[in-house]
Amino acid sequence: MSISMALFSPLTHPPSLSRSIPPQPHPILKPHLSLGPLKASVFLLSTARASGDNGAGTSASGATALESDVDQKISKPPKPVVQKDESSAGANGSLGATEAGEVEVVSKFEDTRWIGGTWDLKKFEKDGKPDWDAVIDAEARRRKWLQDNPESSSNDDPIIFDTSIIPWWAWIKRFHLPEAELLNGRAAMIGFFMTYLVDSLTGVGLVDQMNNFFCKTLLFISVVGVLLIRKNEDLENLKKLLEETTFYDKQWQATWQDEAPGSSKN
Amino acid sequence: MATVPHPLHTTTFKLPLPIRTEISHPQTLRFKASLSTNAPLPGRKLRAAVIGAGPAGSSAAEALASGGVETFLFERSPPTVAKPCGGAIPLCMLHEFDIPSHLIDRQVTQMRIISPSNLAVDFGKTLRPNEFIAMLRREVLDSFLRSRAESLGANLVSGLVTDIEVPNTSSTAPYVVHYTANNSRHALSVDVVIGADGANSRVAKSIKAGDYACAIAFQERIKLPDEKMAYYKNMAEMYVGNDVSPDFYAWVFPKCDHVAVGTGTVRAKQYIKAYQRGIRERVKPKIAGGKVIKVEAHPIPEHPRPIRVRGRVALVGDAAGYVTKCSGEGIYFAAKSGRMCGEGIVKASEGGDRMIEEEDLKREYLKAWDAKYISTFRFMDLLQRVFYGSNAAREALVELCGDEYVQRMTFESYLYKRLAEGDGWEDVKMVCNTIGSLARCNIVGR
Repeated sequence: MSISMALFSPLTHPPSLSRSIPPQPHPILKPHLSLGPLKASVFLLSTARASGDNGAGTSASGATALESDVDQKISKPPKPVVQKDESSAGANGSLGATEAGEVEVVSKFEDTRWIGGTWDLKKFEKDGKPDWDAVIDAEARRRKWLQDNPESSSNDDPIIFDTSIIPWWAWIKRFHLPEAELLNGRAAMIGFFMTYLVDSLTGVGLVDQMNNFFCKTLLFISVVGVLLIRKNEDLENLKKLLEETTFYDKQWQATWQDEAPGSSKN
Repeated sequence: MATVPHPLHTTTFKLPLPIRTEISHPQTLRFKASLSTNAPLPGRKLRAAVIGAGPAGSSAAEALASGGVETFLFERSPPTVAKPCGGAIPLCMLHEFDIPSHLIDRQVTQMRIISPSNLAVDFGKTLRPNEFIAMLRREVLDSFLRSRAESLGANLVSGLVTDIEVPNTSSTAPYVVHYTANNSRHALSVDVVIGADGANSRVAKSIKAGDYACAIAFQERIKLPDEKMAYYKNMAEMYVGNDVSPDFYAWVFPKCDHVAVGTGTVRAKQYIKAYQRGIRERVKPKIAGGKVIKVEAHPIPEHPRPIRVRGRVALVGDAAGYVTKCSGEGIYFAAKSGRMCGEGIVKASEGGDRMIEEEDLKREYLKAWDAKYISTFRFMDLLQRVFYGSNAAREALVELCGDEYVQRMTFESYLYKRLAEGDGWEDVKMVCNTIGSLARCNIVGR
């Protein structure tokens, strides 16, 4: 994300939350600028495009009804990138069909290396071999862009790229290994410290500790702890996960709970 | 076969206490003198009211009427009103409920699932030539089932049920169904009530069955120009992504001569119109030039109600909440639950000769139903939680669906509602691929 922001030129509009109708049609942005993870922009863009639908006919009233909902939502975050979408929201009622043509040009994802629905691996070559890290970055950027600018799916232009094209060792080298190093380091530190502590308290050395059931249990707990709890938020997440997994089941069993206290009375 | 001749139905003699030996509990081999301890009904048959004549109600009424129970089937809408519904039913329903093939509008043999980044995967390579997903119009299916129930002896009552009077103390006092028909109010006393009146069930309210969370399904029926319609001849599409739904999917389903483009959501109901716009955008090139002929919406229950049987009232179908997560399938489960409930009542009352109790309903219907389908529902819930949570997970889902083994297992379990025999080794590969895809897509989606 930060890479993309640094590389590309900033918006020409000054950041402001005005919703006045602009005198000229809104500027066409370079498509590979990440617009930030603001969900409201999705609704606004969809509203703008939908108003240009021909032959459909029913969306006009729906669009104005939705405007009020969405306007409240976007008033909160003051991100400058929202500027483009703001102006299109305001212009929605009046611009109508003319907007559709422009919006369509903006919404397609374009990149010199994205050809025919997939990444051209030859463009990513470094020392004669494709630079998989760059491919992963490019795809991540593309998906992020698509989150905010969803594209129409078309039969003439199918997407072929699939993450399994990138070989497994590229993923492991870049993402698994650093994390594994971190976790192993934590486990080793905890292990050394605990061994020292137990030894100083009980006089049982490392080898004898390994033969003891209680110590083996402690070891198991610490390994599981290091694996599952990596960030502070993980503790809460795990509790919620456990609750979620059993929730649906509880809903099904609810009708049987009533059986014990006073069943057939209502 | 739709109706298996009930063994008890053939016995029409009315001796006061039929002497029979029967193993009543599997654990304790007790031989009882009579089949059940329920009181025999003096000189009349058991009376049942089925509220709602959709697939659930009609199947229940059919099972009851052909089992010898005096059945009253209540329906408020005339038979030609179209219900907003996907209208897709699995093969097993065609077989089990003897649906004639002339009712089927289309046979979908290809299902396309499209990810947030528009990666499209075609489902259907593993289908055999006689396998398909049948698309029907609900009004056609419902009328057929309703008239079949009527021809088997159910009394069809066209009226709006306004209230069910629930007796509060004695166990033999009847339930009184208050309804409005021909602009006048009537009341009918019955012994058993089956609530098949859908997501906003009045029967559920009368027995205080509790509430459930509902998803809203919103769709627009669009008439397409012929060349665009040809693309959807046998193809249905499913779209996933945060732009079309935060916790469900959007669809383009072909119907008789138009397509239904719609989406659904549980937690973002107020933005449903935006999501509908989202799906219209995503499908824009394929529906360009189409005309919207109808807009409709309907609630879909997300999970069963807290109470599904109380006293001699049972809920079936949407009223009970039998809709799978992840796919939102409810027609088959509605019809099947209606039938199982009806058959359970017939069995417990010995062909309408005896009164039944709450324990009978729970044992013959609820227990049997839960035992048969709870794992299906639980699995679909798991799938929804794992794969519908984020765009990254949805991308992983679409990638996984490209695998032939996954496609075969999915179709087998959908079409026949049974756990397909899998290959152990392929299962392991599938699990590894799942984990791999989820990991990769989560990394790329960060």
